[in-house]
Amino acid sequence: MKTTFRGGVHPKECKELARDVPFETLLPTGEIVLLLAQHIGKPAAPVVQKGDEVKMGQLVGKADGFVSANIYASCSGKVKAVEPRRNVAGKMVNAVVIDNDGQFTLAEGVGVERNPEAMSRQEILDAVGWAGIVGLGGAGFPTQVKLMPREPEKIEYIIANGAECEPYICCDDQLMRTYPEEIAGGMKILLRLFPTAKGIVLIEENKPEAIAAMRQACEKVENLSVLPVKTKYPQGGERSIITVVTGKHLRLGMLPADVGCIVDNVSTVRAIYRAVRWTEPLYERAVTVSGEAVKHPKNLIVKLGTSFQELLDCAGGIKEGVTLKKALYGGPMMGGAFADLNCPTMKNNNALTLFAEDAVEKAFSQMTACLKCGRCNRTCPLGLQPQMMAAAAERRDYEYYEKLYGLECVSCGSCTYGCPAKRPLMQLFTQTKAEIMAIRKGGGK
Amino acid sequence: MAAFTKRETLLNISTGPHARGPLTTRMVMLDVVISLLPATILGVLNFGWYSALVVLTAVLSAVLTEAVFCWAVKKKQTVGDLSAVVTGLMLSLCLPAEVPLYVPFLGSLFAILFVKCFFGGLGKNIMNPALTARCFLLIAFGNAMTNYTLDGVTTATPLAMLANGQAVDLYRVFAGTTSGVIGCSALGLIAGAVYLLIVGGITWEIPAATILSYTVFIGLFGAKGFEPEYLAVQLCTGGVLMGAFFMATDPVTCPTTSPGQLVYGVVVGLLSGLFRVKGTTQDSVSYAIIMSNLVVPFIDMVMVPKPYAYRAQREKGARIIPKAALTLCAIGLVAGLALSGIYTLTKDTIYEQQLAASAASYREVLPDAQDFAPDEGLDAAIAALNGEPYGESYGRSIINQAIAGKKASGATVGYVLSVTSKDGFEGDITFSLGLTRDGTITGIAFTELNETPGKGSLCGEPAFTDQFKGVSDTSPVNAVSGATVSSVAIMNAVDAALDFFAANAPQ
Repeated sequence: MKTTFRGGVHPKECKELARDVPFETLLPTGEIVLLLAQHIGKPAAPVVQKGDEVKMGQLVGKADGFVSANIYASCSGKVKAVEPRRNVAGKMVNAVVIDNDGQFTLAEGVGVERNPEAMSRQEILDAVGWAGIVGLGGAGFPTQVKLMPREPEKIEYIIANGAECEPYICCDDQLMRTYPEEIAGGMKILLRLFPTAKGIVLIEENKPEAIAAMRQACEKVENLSVLPVKTKYPQGGERSIITVVTGKHLRLGMLPADVGCIVDNVSTVRAIYRAVRWTEPLYERAVTVSGEAVKHPKNLIVKLGTSFQELLDCAGGIKEGVTLKKALYGGPMMGGAFADLNCPTMKNNNALTLFAEDAVEKAFSQMTACLKCGRCNRTCPLGLQPQMMAAAAERRDYEYYEKLYGLECVSCGSCTYGCPAKRPLMQLFTQTKAEIMAIRKGGGK
Repeated sequence: MAAFTKRETLLNISTGPHARGPLTTRMVMLDVVISLLPATILGVLNFGWYSALVVLTAVLSAVLTEAVFCWAVKKKQTVGDLSAVVTGLMLSLCLPAEVPLYVPFLGSLFAILFVKCFFGGLGKNIMNPALTARCFLLIAFGNAMTNYTLDGVTTATPLAMLANGQAVDLYRVFAGTTSGVIGCSALGLIAGAVYLLIVGGITWEIPAATILSYTVFIGLFGAKGFEPEYLAVQLCTGGVLMGAFFMATDPVTCPTTSPGQLVYGVVVGLLSGLFRVKGTTQDSVSYAIIMSNLVVPFIDMVMVPKPYAYRAQREKGARIIPKAALTLCAIGLVAGLALSGIYTLTKDTIYEQQLAASAASYREVLPDAQDFAPDEGLDAAIAALNGEPYGESYGRSIINQAIAGKKASGATVGYVLSVTSKDGFEGDITFSLGLTRDGTITGIAFTELNETPGKGSLCGEPAFTDQFKGVSDTSPVNAVSGATVSSVAIMNAVDAALDFFAANAPQ
């Protein structure tokens, strides 16, 4: 096993802002908005109506089809409405809105202890599906689907992703330091599903406390070890992880299972543990609130559906004398920008990052023509040629763009980060990929 | 909760990444400037303050040209990216120390305006602006561009010394205390190159491939095989270091991919070696690089590395060097050999052209003649001299050739003698001397006069040469003031020719 991958960049980590701040549970006071599409796949179907009384941990949206996920109430109270609400990306999505009574009364049957050792494979899978667990690292892909590969006997590695390579974010770090036993317990459950596989907890070297805590917890589990890797972006990307662990590279359309891997974020692994062992559906998660504009950067345990504005208020709001210029859900590399903080947290939101300065705005003012310096080619973790891809994309030569394997791009942004000419490469690739896919769907029209 | 927030309170939205690295185009260019400073400083220390003026002129002219162009065509002002400074500095380091200031001025103007701005500005030019401008200057101002001086005196460059079989002091080549261009210190260039490699301004591929292929070529086809000291001098002089580390690596005009850069480096190295061994000028590297620049779009077209996921695993016995790399190397070699073949083929033509040039000078000194034919008697007398200096009282004056000038009717009107004096201040002086049948001088024309500019070179001016017309000995001729050595050498050679003609004149 290697300790790093080819390419990548070293953005300023900025994790010191919140990395040593222990978790604080945020009990929201405002309304809770449970979007029914918080995952990849079909939105959940609402199973409550306006006026219904709900309790924390009660099902409000039922998975609709195979690739979908259940949605649970994260507070107790009365259903105010089932109506479209704006999500982080600004899109209107159907949601269950709950008038929070501030009691957080648990629903019946939630929190009942179970013995995972006594559960069958199917019972474990059912529990994960029941709990509405999706990839909490950011992708939001329904986890139970991932745990049912076509050829389970070919799975060699179960990898818990604790790399957390995004700058500012440190909630996974805190999770590993605070709940190492639960993460190790989750891995033990996953290893029961795949008896021939090896368990790996992959952590970047800049988290020595988490490595130590996880090592101690993993000792007690057979076939489970910690793999410290070099600190480099995008180490936390699924492809980089698989390259480090197996030496193999995924191609477009391939799943990790095709090279014998299943990769889950450490917070997902913990959620699996909570669901199987404690019958706890997914209604809360760890979120880092950080960035130069925040008064008290914090790590919070947040009830899903809480408004991001409440997260910011909990972290002391914006620093005095500073104007908030940009707010991101997620970190600066892969995260998206909000126009407005009054929208609800979702299962895959791991951070709220707030800046007084907009790096994109600044980069735009420094933009020059491409120097052809080739730094992007050297940083691409997939071995693509972003310089050539950009030239093809700019002249709308989609045929050549595809020939350059441009559709392989995972939009990690490494090329854009390192570009001295400040070219908006990733934006160009994201747009070009979307256009090519649209042309394919539309039959070339 | 309001469905919409007031527009004023909305935050910036954009696609990511929302963090950008500290590196900017200006910093990239600044790194190149810094890397060129050691060579510049050593150059100024060696050649004196005038060379600093040359550097300054080139840089200012480059910046000014770009600024004026951007203003004139209403483009966003781009001088702030410092790329014009880099071009000006690079060009000036490739100029002789004592060029007139209009040379760097016009060079930078040409580089920025014609090679860069007209092609669309930064990143769009197809050839290295500094080197293309240098080649333009070599063609336009050949004398000024090849007049290499040291302490105000024209001195042979290490490369010229090497070509003449003289020994070259490698220590002086490193320190840059030889005759040559301003940026000729090998030490300064290497220091700058190391800096650039460390900060990531250049990658190893192009310099390594260039230097390696060049060394191998020189070793195989050069005069002294793989003799280490010979190779070291060949490597450290004539712009090879400047070319390999600073010119060929210009990101705009080199391939962007790693394998492409290796192939390109090999092409540059082979062409440099070929032009140096087979070519006629010392400026092989400049020509090699700008010619290789033209191959770059093709290299970028065929040498596209596949993503890691699509590359063949090496342990499966796949070829390490891609097929395209081999193809391109082969193309480079074939092109090189073809060029050397063309040189060999045209060599005779060149000789004939030189003959025609001599014929022109014959006509100049003996205007009455329409045709020239060898004279057996004089030829025999010259052969008898055996290439030794003629007589004892004329210094080292050698009679090269004598030819009879005839009218259309066939009647002999006079003779032209080609004479070389070995007593010139800077080397050989060769001239044609026209004589009537009775030995009166009709004219003198120089075919080789490399004397100190402004001094010995004045011997080629009519003020001096016209004194010879109509006389039959050199007693009335006055020497050029300040160029006594050159004048005396010429007068001695003329006397030798007159004496030789008197003794052997056909009746």
